[in-house]
Amino acid sequence: MADKKLHLDQMYIDGLVQNNSNIIQSIYKKFVPKVKNYIRTNSGDDDQAQDIIQEVLITIYNQAKTNGLQLTCPFDAYFFLLCKRRWLNELKKSSNKEVTLQDDTVSIDEPIQEMAFQTEIFDEKQSLFDEMFQKLGEKCQEILKLSFVTKTMEEVAEKLNVTYGYVRKKKSLCTGQLTEMIQQSPRFRSINY
Amino acid sequence: MNEENYIAFESYLNNEMSSDEKIIFEEKLQNDSQFKANFNLYKETTSFIENKFDFKTIDFKENLKSISESHFSEILPSSKRQVKSKVIQFKPWYYAVAASVAILFGTWFFMQNSIPQYEDYNQHENANLVERGSVIKNLKAAQDAFNAKNYKVAIQNFEIVLKEYDKPEVRYFYAISLLENNQYTDAESTFTKLQSGTSIYKDKATWNLALSKLKQKQFEECKNYIKQLPEDAEDYAKAQKLLSNLD
Repeated sequence: MADKKLHLDQMYIDGLVQNNSNIIQSIYKKFVPKVKNYIRTNSGDDDQAQDIIQEVLITIYNQAKTNGLQLTCPFDAYFFLLCKRRWLNELKKSSNKEVTLQDDTVSIDEPIQEMAFQTEIFDEKQSLFDEMFQKLGEKCQEILKLSFVTKTMEEVAEKLNVTYGYVRKKKSLCTGQLTEMIQQSPRFRSINY
Repeated sequence: MNEENYIAFESYLNNEMSSDEKIIFEEKLQNDSQFKANFNLYKETTSFIENKFDFKTIDFKENLKSISESHFSEILPSSKRQVKSKVIQFKPWYYAVAASVAILFGTWFFMQNSIPQYEDYNQHENANLVERGSVIKNLKAAQDAFNAKNYKVAIQNFEIVLKEYDKPEVRYFYAISLLENNQYTDAESTFTKLQSGTSIYKDKATWNLALSKLKQKQFEECKNYIKQLPEDAEDYAKAQKLLSNLD
């Protein structure tokens, strides 16, 4: 994807990663009303719209920060498509409710579909990762957490009252164990790695 | 578990290999596709963990939440205003209805005034739990939500905090949030535990138990709790005033 031209709207992605309040506010001002309107006219309310929008923005942030995200289409269309599909999934989950859908018949460009698809795959990975991390043993969770919130591994060793060598080894083994749990999960195969 | 591989992945990612080791490692990456796949997953998992615990991520989520909340709360009043500005033809008999409603309300307020209300006493102090550089997950979010009187959000965050940071001061503000959210049973059991403890929140817990009973209009129980308050308790004067109003 690197050869495709970066869209000017990349500034919104960068603004999210930099936690730039002005840019986040302008996303809410410019792009959120449309999403809200869509959810409202499709069996949802403002609270639900608020949640969906926050979840989508957090996903975009996570993807940009973890894997890098290069926007090759307008942010508006990409963001709207992600929110829309997330909301439709939400409705499907609670589909015993009577649902009225207003389908907009605007055709969606291929690059936008592709961008949204990549983000959704990332989100699947993120949620699989989160799930498995919670299942990891307490000691491993603690070491991994400390090794990223503490400046140096020497400090981590000091905090846990163990040797530096032990912390180093334990960190790699815990990360390794986590990757094995991820690989062994049935969800892993359904995500297109 | 392939321990050696994981240790090698870690030192490669941290750039801690000698140049010879590095060459062998990179050769293996090229020739062994399973090794390569395992390494890529290891690398990706590392960046997931890094992002999960990055304080910038935690800050971002909090900032996003507050921008989102102010955006959505701004929208609500203005849409109400639009509804109000519709022109309604006024008919004379509306006056009669309006007058009776006013009388009803007046009477209701008058009657309410004679009984002390929970809302007259629920001026909670601000939570001030987060220290600089603190990395306790969700504590700041809980504190901010509590101080903004957004008790539902506060409860969710306090519950996460309590899993790994179970301190009386956190329990105290958690219990107040529960009380504000009308979850009386949970609030009271938390206050009761604090009351039997030795923290500085001991007497405050008693006072809040009284307030909880007041909110549920169980006035006798409310009085009983007030009577348990020692004279040197911070809320003693307020409590005595409430007691005299209840009698």
